[in-house]
Amino acid sequence: MGELEKEERIKSALEKQFGGAVSNASVQRRNRVWAEVETAKLPEVMAWLKAEGFNHLATVSGFDEGENLGAYYHTTDFKTVVNIKAKTPRANPVLPSVLSVFPGALSYERELVDMFGIKVQGLPPGRRYPLPDDFPTDQYPLRKDWKFVPPANETEAD
Amino acid sequence: MSKITIPLGPQHPALKEPENFMLVLEGEQISGATVNLGYNHRGMEKAAEERTYIQDLYLLERVCGICSHSHTTCYITNVEELAKCETPKRALAIRTLVAELERVHSHLLWLGVAGYEMGFETLFMYTWRDREQVLDCLELISGNRVHYSINTIGGVRRDITAEQKAEVLKRIDYLAERTSYYIKLATEEATVLARTQNVGKLPYDVAIERGAIGPTARASGVARDVRKDEPYLLYSELDFKLITADSCDVFGRLVVRALELVESYKMIRQVLNNLPEGPIAVKVPMRIPAGEAVNRYEAPRGEDIHYLKSNGTDKPERVKVRAPTLANLQSVAYMLEGGWLADVPLVIAAIDPCMSCTDRAVVWDPKKGRKQTYGWEDLRKLAIEQYRRRGVDFTRL
Repeated sequence: MGELEKEERIKSALEKQFGGAVSNASVQRRNRVWAEVETAKLPEVMAWLKAEGFNHLATVSGFDEGENLGAYYHTTDFKTVVNIKAKTPRANPVLPSVLSVFPGALSYERELVDMFGIKVQGLPPGRRYPLPDDFPTDQYPLRKDWKFVPPANETEAD
Repeated sequence: MSKITIPLGPQHPALKEPENFMLVLEGEQISGATVNLGYNHRGMEKAAEERTYIQDLYLLERVCGICSHSHTTCYITNVEELAKCETPKRALAIRTLVAELERVHSHLLWLGVAGYEMGFETLFMYTWRDREQVLDCLELISGNRVHYSINTIGGVRRDITAEQKAEVLKRIDYLAERTSYYIKLATEEATVLARTQNVGKLPYDVAIERGAIGPTARASGVARDVRKDEPYLLYSELDFKLITADSCDVFGRLVVRALELVESYKMIRQVLNNLPEGPIAVKVPMRIPAGEAVNRYEAPRGEDIHYLKSNGTDKPERVKVRAPTLANLQSVAYMLEGGWLADVPLVIAAIDPCMSCTDRAVVWDPKKGRKQTYGWEDLRKLAIEQYRRRGVDFTRL
């Protein structure tokens, strides 16, 4: 496993540092590490990764797995990407904000709120993103059960 | 002095794309800025879940009107990784070629816009005239000027002939000569220096902290480029320099892009002169095995990242696209603060923002309470009708 030395090192350091809070850690291939963390530990894990040199949060990808909603946090030192997964129950979806660690994540977190209906604790007030101001606030388009239904009086010209 | 807040945009604050900045002004000086986005949200990620992998290729090409090749290549790398497809080397070479031609087209476009925003319109006229050369190259290779559609799952759609190679090399020689003139202009011309130096400052630490990427970050001394750091396509085999500048201002962003043009010409020549032999595409099954992949791509504006989750069917479970501008906008808010109102368009344009365009309008009639969506043809008919009433006939155009 010589060529995956760096990836294996990150994986075991992550497991050692956060013990039971980290699960399903794996090295997918060169430069790709995946791990799932306990939601409450998320900001702590992100702060640790940042200190380890993974100081660029490339983006946050929300997901809908049915019972759980959640997000992947793709951090990178620009060579290796560490993908941290955090889940939250659909009945009351809440994720802690990582803005204190990555101030650039503002738009990514607002996207979780708008598109998945995940409450992000610690997000400052501000205009919604990316949906329009008059979009219903109880509809979350990227959830799997959301379907686009054109209003009855709307006509498609093309 | 009392503070006042003014909105800048969403109608085209710089470049012809919608975004809104709320600026807190003390006199002419900016003491606070917030960015508001979303005027162009088109629901592409949702739409991608309802289409097949090959249909998504054409959908995602339309994420951006300039880096269309960036998004499809990033997406297709994910699909090919999940399908465990061995993409032929000749196909990778052609993708690299189109990628660098696209960068040339994008950087020349930006150079023109920057000239325009600094009040140097001759530069705009020059670079946009020269940009036609690279658009002609792209049309020659792919058949299209902007949405090249050269990619297909498992390879590329078109091969490069010897005549095409000769023609592209000829035009690149011309562009290389013109670019050396632009570099001289950008680094010596008094108007350019006066208008760009110490404008829109972004120190190294802030660039890292706010997640800036691409030429914006490289102009603040951040030596990060996906082509060097995690080479994809053929970049590990090409000889090119990672360009940075340490002036941390609009001038630095200008220099980085101008010098990157030279590196792109170098790469285009290397790829064309060493085209690997072999097939240009392999067959990939319609159904992609279940799995997850993340891939990055250095688009002209910076790191583009795509996340793809497949579920074993012919449609993806989830497609996530993060285009470079979204990562850079948090830095713009910083660059504006403490600056002057008159510099705002230039500072915004300096990150080369791309909000992506939309080609249809929705008209809402409050009296009847109904919406009507106009497509391109409808808008065209309306325009022709309006001009005819004024005595000008465009029917035959």
